[in-house]
Amino acid sequence: MSVNVALGHVSNAFLIAALVIYSLSVVAFAGDFAFGRPRRAAAAAHGQQARDRAAALASVGAASAAGAAADQAPAPATASAAPADDAGTMPELEVPALRAIREAGRWVVAAVVFAMLGAAAHTTAVITRGLAVHRAPWGNMYEFITALTCVAVIFFLFAMIRYRVWTLGVFVMGAVVVTLGLADTLIYTAPGDLVPALQSYWLDIHVTAMTLATGIFFVPAVLGFVYLWVDRYTRRVAAGQAAPGNGIVRRLPTIEQLDRLTYRTIVFGFPVWTFGVIAGAIWADQAWGRYWGWDPVETWAFITWVLYAAFLHARATAGWRGRRAHYVQLLGFASLIFNILVVQVFIAGMHSYSGVS
Amino acid sequence: MTDVRAPETDPFDPAAEPDDHPRPGPSSPGAAFGPADWLKWGWRQLTSMRIALILLFLLALASVPGSMLPQQGSNPSGVQQYYTSHPDLAPWLDRLGLFNVFAAPWFAAIYLLLFASLVGCVVPRTFRLAGSARTLPPRAPRHLARLPRSAEYTTALPPQEAVEVAARVLSGRGFRLRRPDDADSSQDWVSAEKGYLREAGNLLFHLALLGVLVSVALGGLFGYKADRLLVQGQSFADTVSALDEWHPGRFVTAADLGPFTIKLNRFDASYIASGEQRGQPSSFDARVTYTEHPGGPARTFDLDVNRPLSVDGAKVYLIGHGYAPEFTVTDARGHVVYKQATPFVAGASGNFLSEGVVKVPDAQPEQLGFTGVFVPTAVNVGGTLESVFPAADNPAVSLIAYAGNLGMDSGAPQSVYELDTSAMHRLTASPQVLQPGQSLKLPNGRGTVTFTGYVPWVSLAITHDPGQLPALICGIASLGGLLLSFMIRRRRVFVRARSGPSAQNGTTVQVGGLARTDAGGGFEAEFAGLAAELRSAHEQAAPARPAPSAQPTRSAQPPPQQAAEPRHEGE
Repeated sequence: MSVNVALGHVSNAFLIAALVIYSLSVVAFAGDFAFGRPRRAAAAAHGQQARDRAAALASVGAASAAGAAADQAPAPATASAAPADDAGTMPELEVPALRAIREAGRWVVAAVVFAMLGAAAHTTAVITRGLAVHRAPWGNMYEFITALTCVAVIFFLFAMIRYRVWTLGVFVMGAVVVTLGLADTLIYTAPGDLVPALQSYWLDIHVTAMTLATGIFFVPAVLGFVYLWVDRYTRRVAAGQAAPGNGIVRRLPTIEQLDRLTYRTIVFGFPVWTFGVIAGAIWADQAWGRYWGWDPVETWAFITWVLYAAFLHARATAGWRGRRAHYVQLLGFASLIFNILVVQVFIAGMHSYSGVS
Repeated sequence: MTDVRAPETDPFDPAAEPDDHPRPGPSSPGAAFGPADWLKWGWRQLTSMRIALILLFLLALASVPGSMLPQQGSNPSGVQQYYTSHPDLAPWLDRLGLFNVFAAPWFAAIYLLLFASLVGCVVPRTFRLAGSARTLPPRAPRHLARLPRSAEYTTALPPQEAVEVAARVLSGRGFRLRRPDDADSSQDWVSAEKGYLREAGNLLFHLALLGVLVSVALGGLFGYKADRLLVQGQSFADTVSALDEWHPGRFVTAADLGPFTIKLNRFDASYIASGEQRGQPSSFDARVTYTEHPGGPARTFDLDVNRPLSVDGAKVYLIGHGYAPEFTVTDARGHVVYKQATPFVAGASGNFLSEGVVKVPDAQPEQLGFTGVFVPTAVNVGGTLESVFPAADNPAVSLIAYAGNLGMDSGAPQSVYELDTSAMHRLTASPQVLQPGQSLKLPNGRGTVTFTGYVPWVSLAITHDPGQLPALICGIASLGGLLLSFMIRRRRVFVRARSGPSAQNGTTVQVGGLARTDAGGGFEAEFAGLAAELRSAHEQAAPARPAPSAQPTRSAQPPPQQAAEPRHEGE
């Protein structure tokens, strides 16, 4: 089937738009750091939050009681307040998401709106690209990076709103803008067809899973750096040394929160990666007559899997929790990036389809 | 696994944190530390999480050279090249097994130790899980408000009935219950536990990985791999002599080959004709006729890159293709001494510029040999032929003729793609270009060679891997186990009921809960929902009898833990 060139141009235009809007969102997230109102999260470690929360809960309880049957007593405590409204809501959603965003200040509102608009434009770019080439739009490296950053943004927005970690936006969205910008300028590939070895529905399944997993792992990778930074800051403060960045770190989530968020995102991504590797093995079996052949790309997918597995184990091992575990997961993401950028491009193997020359 | 510690409860999963407990080592002050103790100590070390972690790192690290250096199994010609370009270094790398990393003893040592460590960890945990499935949850702790999650409210029901209602609710939610027995001083509580599948999933994951390893070994021992180049119009039987290459597993003999036959009727390849991707293949299609066994019915099949043929327990894959120019050679006597399609192999220059040789041992008075280049779409660029497109739009061959001794009788094996010219002399000064149908007259009346046309050939890989299906099943099982262990949390919920100081106050119901392992989060929400359900069950049960007081139930203050750490609680 021939490539729809006009639709390809539409896709490119939407991608540029997404880049611009993402940049605005980064600016707004940064503005929140500079001018935003002090966040409760900053005070969490100091117990201030407990009072804030008690006050907030009282108002929630009153609000929901007003709407409830008159003979009902005020909703008792947190335990039964949240699920009374919606059994599926997350515990973090004691304040509804929209209201939580509003309460976070107008910089965050602007940043979230920009990020969502950008994600919509980004998704449109990926979909139109797919329509232009009549296949899943992650068949070469440019398309792969475009799609994985789209996954990363959507996944991060979900996590950010769910856990109310607005201050992480500047880091993750910043990393997305840089990655997407580099992809668009350095390795742009015009829409085109695939070689026959890539024309299989197992390609769609395998590469889709890999794209999803990479997009998900993108988020904990950024969080890992933030974690190490906060960790270093905390240790310096504990040691009585000069610790620059006080104003920024104070607004960030606590180190325990960062650790748990990282862990949960990786727990989300690891089975997807595992599935992607299995799907890849099935595809390899159909295309090349063996399900595993230690092809360089397979080897590096295996290394990535082992490193993330090591992270999951490290968190359960004395002496490895915390900083060391985060080094491990960052190493895992580094191996993933190495696989995409170096192995697939420079090392001969059967996965040499990146379309980068 | 968690930062949440439960007071007054047993640890759920001691195996998860084996390193927290100091182990007696050889250094520990003891009288005699015999060989048995050393073994025990070594085994404990091996099965500790720390060693498993180190082995995981070693496994990742050991895989790296396997991707950086050419490997004997996947890229033998790359190994040859490496020997040529690094003659000093290559033998040393070879001695270290770095050209065959994934079959090297040190690589095997790492993964075998890792799997031994895994077995040592998983087997005791399996027994422990089986044991815990038979034992009841622990007694309810005295102070439920100290648990990570707790709620408190009052009900008009008397304590015993309140506990009864709570037990019904929890049991309805699939919890395993423990009620007080006669030995207990307090009788108004119920313990409930759920989520045993988490540990089961975790074990399934690890055992399935073991299964994958066994499946791979199974394939290596009882499977085989073979290659065969098949020219269009020709056929072959799956026997050792008919195969170009045969790599049997340790326990495979020639008798294990299924004697199926395959004939290539037609092969078509199409290519993208324009645009940036001009020359990239767009589709392949190999039409074959096969019989499962000699004399069996002939069936046809369209072999494609992603569509192997399953026949007689083996799978046949299309892994490559090329052109086989057809030559007719007559010798000095005028006899036709060669008339066949000769497979040429595409070189690295692209667009299927292919090289090959023609050996004519029967020619008289001297044997003849030709080295040739086949160009599917030929363009003459400054006197040399170049191929500008992979399809055969303007085919041509370029030949250099030799006469003399081909050296085929020496007994040494010869490649069909190489001409040994050491005992031959060149007949033509420059390469001679032929179009289909054209002939080249050899000098001194030695005969003629005619380029009559070309046919495509395909290269087929034939594999038999009995470990394939087990590996797939184990892979899926490992994924299932992973999902179970990540999505299910092992949690306990306790309910205590106490009658208030006076009948007016009704009964105070305390609900407490903890999740030892809550990787995906969400126990907060589940607990909140459960507490609400218990409360409404109590409220519904209460009006059946006259309430001791009109005073509405009152909620307690949120427990301190909940306020102090509201987010990301309990993994």
